[in-house]
Amino acid sequence: MTSQKLYGHAGLIFPAIVAVLLLAMSPFLDSYFAYVATSWVVFGLLGLSLDVVWGRAGFLSLAQTAFYGIGGYVAGVATINFGPVTGNTIVWLLPVGILAGALVAAALGWIIFYARMGTLQSTILSYTFTLLLWSLTQSFKAKAGTAVVGGDNGMADIPGIALAFGHGSSALNQASAFAATVVLAAAAYFIVRRIMRGTFGQIVNCVRLDIQKTELLGYDVRRYQLVNVALSGAIAGLAGALFGAWSNYLSPSIFSVQEALLVPIYVLVGGLGTLAGPFVGALIVGGLSFWLGGGAVGGQTTLVLGIVLILLVLFLRNGVLGALGALWQRHLPDPNEAARDAGMVSIDAGALEGILADAAIQAGPAKKLSTHDAFKEFGGVVPVNKICLDFDPGRPFALIGPNGAGKSSYLKVCVGIYQPESGSIQIEGKDVTRTPIFERVHLGMGVKNQKPQIFGELTVADNLWVAAYSRLRDASKAANVASAILAMLGLEGQSKVQASALSHGQQQWLDIGMVLSLAPRVVLLDEPAAGMTNEETRELSKLVRILAKHMTVIVVEHDMEFVRMLEGHVTVLHRGEVFAQGDIDTLRADDRVLDIYLGRRAHV
Amino acid sequence: MGLDYLATVLLSALSSASILLIATIGLAVVFGLMGVINLAHGEFLMIGAYAALTATQHGVPFVLSIPIAVIVTVVIGAIVEMLIINRLYGRLFDTMLATWGLSMVFYQLAVLMFGTVTPGIGMPAYSLHIGRYSLAAYPLLMIFVAAAMMAFVYMLMIRTPYGRKARAAIQVPDMAQAIGIDSRKTNTMTFSIGCGLAGFAGAVLLPIVPATPAMGFAFVIKAFLAVVVAGPVALTGAAIAALGAGGGASVVASFFTSVVGDVFFFSITAALLWLYPQGISAQWRRKM
Repeated sequence: MTSQKLYGHAGLIFPAIVAVLLLAMSPFLDSYFAYVATSWVVFGLLGLSLDVVWGRAGFLSLAQTAFYGIGGYVAGVATINFGPVTGNTIVWLLPVGILAGALVAAALGWIIFYARMGTLQSTILSYTFTLLLWSLTQSFKAKAGTAVVGGDNGMADIPGIALAFGHGSSALNQASAFAATVVLAAAAYFIVRRIMRGTFGQIVNCVRLDIQKTELLGYDVRRYQLVNVALSGAIAGLAGALFGAWSNYLSPSIFSVQEALLVPIYVLVGGLGTLAGPFVGALIVGGLSFWLGGGAVGGQTTLVLGIVLILLVLFLRNGVLGALGALWQRHLPDPNEAARDAGMVSIDAGALEGILADAAIQAGPAKKLSTHDAFKEFGGVVPVNKICLDFDPGRPFALIGPNGAGKSSYLKVCVGIYQPESGSIQIEGKDVTRTPIFERVHLGMGVKNQKPQIFGELTVADNLWVAAYSRLRDASKAANVASAILAMLGLEGQSKVQASALSHGQQQWLDIGMVLSLAPRVVLLDEPAAGMTNEETRELSKLVRILAKHMTVIVVEHDMEFVRMLEGHVTVLHRGEVFAQGDIDTLRADDRVLDIYLGRRAHV
Repeated sequence: MGLDYLATVLLSALSSASILLIATIGLAVVFGLMGVINLAHGEFLMIGAYAALTATQHGVPFVLSIPIAVIVTVVIGAIVEMLIINRLYGRLFDTMLATWGLSMVFYQLAVLMFGTVTPGIGMPAYSLHIGRYSLAAYPLLMIFVAAAMMAFVYMLMIRTPYGRKARAAIQVPDMAQAIGIDSRKTNTMTFSIGCGLAGFAGAVLLPIVPATPAMGFAFVIKAFLAVVVAGPVALTGAAIAALGAGGGASVVASFFTSVVGDVFFFSITAALLWLYPQGISAQWRRKM
């Protein structure tokens, strides 16, 4: 196996080796050491739950210990009551802990994601949730069956892990409990790794990198975020259940700030986004405090950990595994080398026609876009004032107008980024005024914003694949579409290059390629020629003219030369209203249009 | 229920909302002007409280211990900004994590230096009588202190060269740099002013909230929420959020229990975030 291949599978091979070694060692471990080491594995699992939601989906949740604690408490109550019936405790601990953690995480996630909270608001709300549980559980006392949840006194007598069924089955000894915990944690890790390397994980990565673009590709981003946070809650709940079985006791201190602080430390020490990192982090932090003799809560651990967190954030942002990976990568061939020999993009018109013909077969005929009395205001400013326009295929439509005319606002209303106060928007007669962005994309809308929106960490081919997969929901068909688009753009040589390594112009082309992968029936382009060279602009006008034969194309543009090259229908917007329409030569001769562009008084 | 009872409830609600506002202003200044959430804000409050307490224990009159607390926190704030915050500029969540670590360090240091239980200082024994009810005067005084703090901050921002620079730096950061405003220096100033305001709050609230190492956690949860609910126009927004939600919670608490009041506070902020996911001031045109 080459070093390169080994690097690609490092997350599979090394954890597997470690897990097997730990299992082989477990019968020979000192029982107290095995007992302590079990807690490190559980904390690693808790760290993994944060890595899934923070490292992958980009949401720094400070509620992981809340899911963990709730998973522990609920699983504890279930096991105390039903464990004696079955003898085996795993059948209660695992499903109940996982389910409780997942449900609570999903409920909190639903509030955060569906309210579309800002990232700061989300993090602070999750922190508040933990603190709220901390203060509520201090005084909360209840009796659930034979389990006593005793507020500050905690909940005692949680049975340990017992595998045998039947009455009188006893809990495993420390070494075997350690082995069982390692098996469960390894299973959780490999399942999570598989999910994160699959399609779901790829789209979650996209959500982190550019959530707006992911939605513009037609993905229901909030649902992905919700499922991801539920997955994270399930892992945390599992960790909580195992923690309860390990310590046989739970108290509200599980919701404390000190406890919550540890989770991002595990993740940062090991390496954010690496999935295996949190286990390394938990081992290092746990091992260090074991060696210092303080235990996880006593002594000056808080002080040391606080300083460690500050130093990590300042100096070792990628953690141990991140740093090791970067060191290893330096000895591997640079995958982005091919980016350097990419020439200017030139559109293969024949290939483009072929792609568009296929798209028409799969996605049906072009669709009209129309707005009726669309009205949008921002506190007295009215950028979109009752605009009625119909766009249909054949010739490209260009929207022009002086700065502040409302072109971009109108486009955003059409896309769904802005909600109009009144009026309606229709795609081929279907009202979409209140339809979320991703559903409009399903109806055939394709959008290219002014800046190139690409997923910089993904390869060029993967960028196109993600776009095509959104429509086709079939991995191999999506790969075919992606390679056809790559060939049309002449970027085959760069398919394995990270998109961020491309030049600005190439990123624009890649973005256009992603929009085409959606087989859109209506395309909206916001200043596509911005930042392009003259040659590139000419290529782009050729592409837009071809597109317009197959679908409705609307272009917002400043560059008059580009608008002229489009040979299309031109609409002039002024103060949020339609000011004039026609082809570019008629409008150039129109004194009123010249007035608003040049600021002349009428008929000097 | 008599009119005197109603007046009592409203006055004490206003006073507890003002107490929340006093604790929030420093956080709002730092967030509004630097875009930084200082999770160690509560610990700066605690440092101010301990500084004032230590000063009074050495015979300094309470009124004079307040400026001492401000000086101590301003200095510590400036050091923290230069050592940590400066290096994390533009990395919101890293700043949060670093200040979180800092809050634990301060907490543990306070435990080491002062122990977990410390005596409070007595509240000045004046009280106000409304009908059959009487209210302690000191908490009522906090209404005026909060108003004075707000006025002070507005004056600082509008009338001083520093304030003009700081406001320029948040409105158009690149332009501010281009005309020669040293944003690093301005940020150091802003952060230490925010910490000084926290220190002032800790000292002035000392007769009401005794100094303990953990007082920071308990106290600032609501302050964080007020600032987050406020959104980009942090100062005015936080004042409205603190007075509205804090006052409402206090009214509810006076009819039921303080736990119900807390639940009300959290629900009202969650509801506000649901309605205004970027904060209540996201669409406002004013900037302060």
